[in-house]
Amino acid sequence: MFEQRFHLIHHNSFFHILISLIAGIYFVFLGTIIACLLTATSLNEFINNIKSPEILSSIIISLETSIAVVILALIFGIPVAYLLATRRFKGKIILDTLIDLPIISPPLVCGLAILIAFGGQGLYSQFDVIFTIKGIIIAQLFVASPFLIRSARIAFESIDQDILTAARTLGASEFYTFRNVSLPLARNGIISGIIMTWARALGEFGATAMVAGCIPYKTETMTIGIYMHALSGNLDASVALSLLLIVSAFATLIVFKYFGRYNDSIK
Amino acid sequence: MIQLNDICKSFKEKEVLRSLNLNVKKGEMFVLLGSSGCGKTTTLSIIAGLIREDKGDIYVDGSRINDIPPHKRGIGFVFQNYALFPHLNIYENIEFGLKARHKQRNNRNEVKRALELVGLDGFDNKNPMKLSGGEQQRVALARALVTEPECILMDEPLSNLDAMVRERLRHEMKQLQKDVGLTTIYVTHDQVEAMMLGDRIAVLNNGQNEEVGTPEKIFYKPQREFVARFIGMKNIFNGKITTLDEEGGVMQISTENFELTAVLIPSTEGTHVKACVRPEEIILMKSDQKTSARNEIAGRIITIFPNGPLMRVLVDVGEDEISVDITRLATRDLGLKKGDKVILKFKATSVHVIM
Ligand SMILES: Nc1ncnc2c1ncn2[C@@H]1O[C@H](COP(=O)(O)OP(=O)(O)OP(=O)(O)O)[C@@H](O)[C@H]1O
Ligand SMILES: [Mg+2]
Repeated sequence: MFEQRFHLIHHNSFFHILISLIAGIYFVFLGTIIACLLTATSLNEFINNIKSPEILSSIIISLETSIAVVILALIFGIPVAYLLATRRFKGKIILDTLIDLPIISPPLVCGLAILIAFGGQGLYSQFDVIFTIKGIIIAQLFVASPFLIRSARIAFESIDQDILTAARTLGASEFYTFRNVSLPLARNGIISGIIMTWARALGEFGATAMVAGCIPYKTETMTIGIYMHALSGNLDASVALSLLLIVSAFATLIVFKYFGRYNDSIK
Repeated sequence: MIQLNDICKSFKEKEVLRSLNLNVKKGEMFVLLGSSGCGKTTTLSIIAGLIREDKGDIYVDGSRINDIPPHKRGIGFVFQNYALFPHLNIYENIEFGLKARHKQRNNRNEVKRALELVGLDGFDNKNPMKLSGGEQQRVALARALVTEPECILMDEPLSNLDAMVRERLRHEMKQLQKDVGLTTIYVTHDQVEAMMLGDRIAVLNNGQNEEVGTPEKIFYKPQREFVARFIGMKNIFNGKITTLDEEGGVMQISTENFELTAVLIPSTEGTHVKACVRPEEIILMKSDQKTSARNEIAGRIITIFPNGPLMRVLVDVGEDEISVDITRLATRDLGLKKGDKVILKFKATSVHVIM
């Protein structure tokens, strides 16, 4: 099939030349812009900037919060994903939509919702999270955890039902089957979900800024730092942080592709 | 040992099982035979507790198990697609059931014995996905056997295998089942398989149990027209018993088109019956030759086509058609072709009568 697909292409047809040309323009557009960022600073500048206490602090805050988000997303997300993958119940479509909502809606809107819920007269006002690290974590969790849930759910759903049934007839309870069959078989999907959630949390700006503000050394994450430094004219600092994020995004993608491939080859 | 009483099951609007009754004896290989979609898998799933029946009772050794969850029923299941755990090696696959049941005994010996039982010793560290279909099914069998189930359910376990492997594994499984004395319910839609494996066979139709019996009875003396048709008694004629010849031990049956002589069975004259003749029991000749066969019908060939290793000849005998199976060589030697006049002969003992 695959071979045939390539064999059917005529490299001198008008259509082939046209789509190649359009694709070329698009990739030049992407590539040059990223190249501009990569060449906007020198190595010395970059190292100097990274070493500044404010930037270091924002890196640490970003790492701390995004890792906390991944852990919380796992604690809540795996059971939710398993529930949605294995149960049929009334109102499931509503829960489904609820999970997709943070992915689709603008982060600013999510941030505002959290601000209202946790702020002054809000439902959760006693928790005191506004303008704190906790606020960052809540904002990122809200926006990023659906990625883990979606990925894990698809992984659970794609396990052959007969394999799960076999486990049950061999004497395994549902929990034993979950732990020893479902989880290991969904591993790659869960790992991809973790990576996506982590990347989303690390790159979160809108919701975080709404909930946690932009307080240097306290709630300034890397993305917030980029914005603040750019506004205040310290473009070099912004560039340094951006480069860090781009490199980590790149590394993430490589890992992600690896697990994606691995996933496919198992099936 | 296993008893199904009045089991009903519908999926949405669709009635799949309508009051199914089965009674499987201890230690026997019980075959469920039926066409695709007749509810065989559904029946097994209900016995194993994988789906819930709408109505009816399931008993194992006299105790009702309807409310026991599948992992506590002690009923093994072997699937058509093997369903091995892809993330575990062969040893771990087989050990799975022992671990899941929290058995603290030495698993190594049991796993080794199970592997030997199915002829796969030394396969411990292999990846199940790298085995052939036949080997995978052996592992699945060992995996189920090692948990020492009360009984084992097999859902078309050999139907994904090629004919050669299937035949070998069929023999091995029958032998194994006898040696272990394990109560087995075996689902298939393959008649040959049912015949070879079954101590008893139940033919399912329309969500019900049409007929139960030994292979001998099901294949040669079915009591239901559906079963007769299902097992390939192509020639079934409605008729009426006209004379009973007590001395000769035969009786005459007249159908719309012809008279038949059949072996006498206890009955009265005038009874409506169905007379069945297997296509391979009929001798086809071009000119009348003396034989001991009591039945003789003349007809004309409608068509000839290959039917497995044999040739099937369709013969027009007035209102009815009769199917005859003869060898390819005989077809050629007789020079049979469409439109030829032929004479069909078969013995009185070849006529099976359904009351
Ligand atoms: N979960 C389900 N939901 C809806 N319909 C179902 C379900 N399971 C089975 N059926 C229907 O019930 C009928 C019987 O299914 P079942 O799998 O028991 O048949 P089968 O005898 O095992 O057939 P086969 O030989 O093809 O395996 C089929 O028509 C099938 O479409
Ligand atoms: Mg089936």
